[in-house]
Amino acid sequence: MVWIGTVINGVLLGGLYGLFGVGLALVFGVTRIVNIMHGEFIALSAFIALGISTVLPNAHPLLLVVPVMIASFALGYVLQALFVNRSMRLPDPLAPLLLTFGLSIVTRNLMIEAFGVNPRSIHQGDFAQLSIDVCGVQIGVLPLVTLALAVVLFVTLQLVLRRTKIGRIVRATADNSEVVRLMGVRPSSVYSIVMGFSFALAGVAGLMLALRTTFTPFSGVERLLISFEVVVMGGLGSFWGAMLGGIALGVAQLVGLRINPNSGFLYANLVFFVVVLLRPNGLFGARQ
Amino acid sequence: MTRWTLPAITFALFVVAAVAAPWLVGDGGIGLLFEIVLMLAMAQLWNLLAGYTGLVSMGLQCFVGLGGYVTIFASNTLRLPPYWVLPLAPLVCGLVAAASAIFLFRLRDAYFSISTWVFSEVVAMLVFIAPGFGHVSGMTLETARAIDYEVFLLANFWIATGFAAAVMVGIYLLLNSALGLSMLSVRDDEVAAASIGINVWRNRFIAYVAASAGCGLAGGISFMAALFVTVTTAFDLNWVVAMIFIVIIGGIGTLEGPIVGTIVYYGVRELFANLFALSGSWYLIALGSVAVLTMLFAPRGIWPFVRDRLGVEWLSIARKLPTIATEDDAKGSVSTSHGSLRA
Repeated sequence: MVWIGTVINGVLLGGLYGLFGVGLALVFGVTRIVNIMHGEFIALSAFIALGISTVLPNAHPLLLVVPVMIASFALGYVLQALFVNRSMRLPDPLAPLLLTFGLSIVTRNLMIEAFGVNPRSIHQGDFAQLSIDVCGVQIGVLPLVTLALAVVLFVTLQLVLRRTKIGRIVRATADNSEVVRLMGVRPSSVYSIVMGFSFALAGVAGLMLALRTTFTPFSGVERLLISFEVVVMGGLGSFWGAMLGGIALGVAQLVGLRINPNSGFLYANLVFFVVVLLRPNGLFGARQ
Repeated sequence: MTRWTLPAITFALFVVAAVAAPWLVGDGGIGLLFEIVLMLAMAQLWNLLAGYTGLVSMGLQCFVGLGGYVTIFASNTLRLPPYWVLPLAPLVCGLVAAASAIFLFRLRDAYFSISTWVFSEVVAMLVFIAPGFGHVSGMTLETARAIDYEVFLLANFWIATGFAAAVMVGIYLLLNSALGLSMLSVRDDEVAAASIGINVWRNRFIAYVAASAGCGLAGGISFMAALFVTVTTAFDLNWVVAMIFIVIIGGIGTLEGPIVGTIVYYGVRELFANLFALSGSWYLIALGSVAVLTMLFAPRGIWPFVRDRLGVEWLSIARKLPTIATEDDAKGSVSTSHGSLRA
C-alpha cells in the first residue's frame, strides 16, 4: 500500500514537473531557443501570485490562476519583443541562450534585492493540507488539482495549436520562418506571442509551486534542471512527451527517496539517462 | 613578422607578468590572480569544446569537482603532499570522461548539453552518498598542516599560471596542427568533414577527454589551494556558467575571446564588489546586463566585434591561402579577408 501511495504521489508530482517543462518545450519547438530564463520566471510568478493574493486576500487561491497567467503573458511578450527577438538575427543558437542567461541573472538578483532571500508562502487557509482517502491511500487535493490543471492546459494548448488561426500561424512559423513571411506573417511577432504563452504556462507552474511549498528567488533556478530534463525526455518540442517525462521523473524521485532517503534526485536522473539512451530523440522526438 | 610573432610576444609578456606578479601585488592580489588564471584556463577548455568542436557541454563542473575530490582524497590517503598527487586528477577525470563519452556522444545538440549536466549531478550525488568522502561536511586537506602557508600560496600561484600557459599554448599549437584543422572542419560542417575522410567521433572524443582532464586538473589545483572541498562547492553549476559566460562574452571560437571575457568578468566583479562596495546581487545584475548588452549589440562576442571593426589580428589561427599572382594583385586590390580562412 505504501508503494502504491508513493507511485500515485509521484504521478501527481509529475503533473507539476510537466508544467515546469511545457513552456520550455513550446518555446524550443517554435523558436529553437534554449530559454534559461524559464526557471526565474517560475519563481517570479510565485512572487506575482503572492502580490495579487495580498491585494485580494479573500479570493480562493486557485482563482489566482487567471491574473497570474495574464501578467505572465504580458511579461513574456514584452521580454521577447524587446530583447530576445533582437538576438535571433544570427543563425547561432548560443546568442539567445546567453541573452536569456543574462536576463535570468538580472531577474533573480532583482528579486533578491526586492523580496529578500527568506522563504515566503501564500496564505491560503487550509487548502494545501486537504487530502482525500482512496482505499487507504492519502492523496493531497492540491497535487490532484495541479495534475488536473496541467492536463487541462495541455489539452487547451494542443487545441489552440491545432484548431485556431493563431495556432496554424505558430505551427507554420515553427516549420519555416522564411516562408511565412511571404504570407504576411512577421515571425518576430509570432515569437513574442509564443513566449507570452510559455510564460503564462510558467506562471501557472510558479503559482502551483507557491501553493505547495515555500519559495525564494532561488526556487526557479533550483528547478531549471528538472524543467530541462522533462523537455529532453519528452523529445524537444513535444508537449505530451513533456507530460510523460514529468510523470516519469516524479515517480522515480519519490520511489528513489523511499529506497534511500539521502539520494535526492539521483534516481530520477538515472531514469532520465535510461530513457534518453534508449530513445536518443526523447519519447516523442521522432518527428525530426 | 611571421604568424608566430604576435603569439610569441603574448606568451613572453604573460611569463614576465606572471614572474613579476608576486612583487607587484600583495597576498590578496595573488589569491585573486590565482583564481583568474585558473578560470582563464577552464574557459579556454570550454571554448575548445564548444567553439572548436561544437560540443556545448553544461557539465564540465563534474570534472572540476571530481578533480578536487581526487586530489584531496589521494593526498590524505597516501599521506603525500598535494602537489605530488595532482596528476591523478586529470588522469581520473580523463578516464571518467572517456567512459562517459561512449554513451553521451550518442546524444546531439541540446540533448547532449542537458545530459552532460545531468551526468554531473549524478556523479555529484554518488560522491555525496559514497562512504569515505565526508558526506555533507566534505573533506579537508590533512597533509596541508605540514606546509608553510606563504610558500603554499606562491607555489599554487605558479602551478596555476603554468597550467594556464600550458593550456593556451597547447590549444594554439593544436589548432595549428592537422588535427586542429580537422576539428574546425567538424565544427563547421560535420557531414562535409566526414565525407572527406575525417573521423568526427574521434575528433570530438579527443577534445572532450582533453577538456575534461584539464578541468580536472584545474579543480585539483583550486581545491588544493582552498584546503577544503564539499559537494556543493565542487560540483557547482556556477563553474560551467562562468566558463560559458566568459567565452560567449569574449567571442566563441577565438583564442582571444576567453582572454577578453575573463578580463570583463573579473573587471565587473572587482569594480562592483570592491570599488563600489555594493552587495553581491548588484554585481551579478551588472554581469547579467553585460551579457544582455553584448548579445544585443555584438552577438558574436566582444573580440570579433573589435577585430572586425579595427581590422586587427592577435592570436589568429587563420590559414592564409597561397597567393595567386593576378592582375588585381599587382594593383594591390585583393583584400586579405578573401585570401584567408577565418577561423
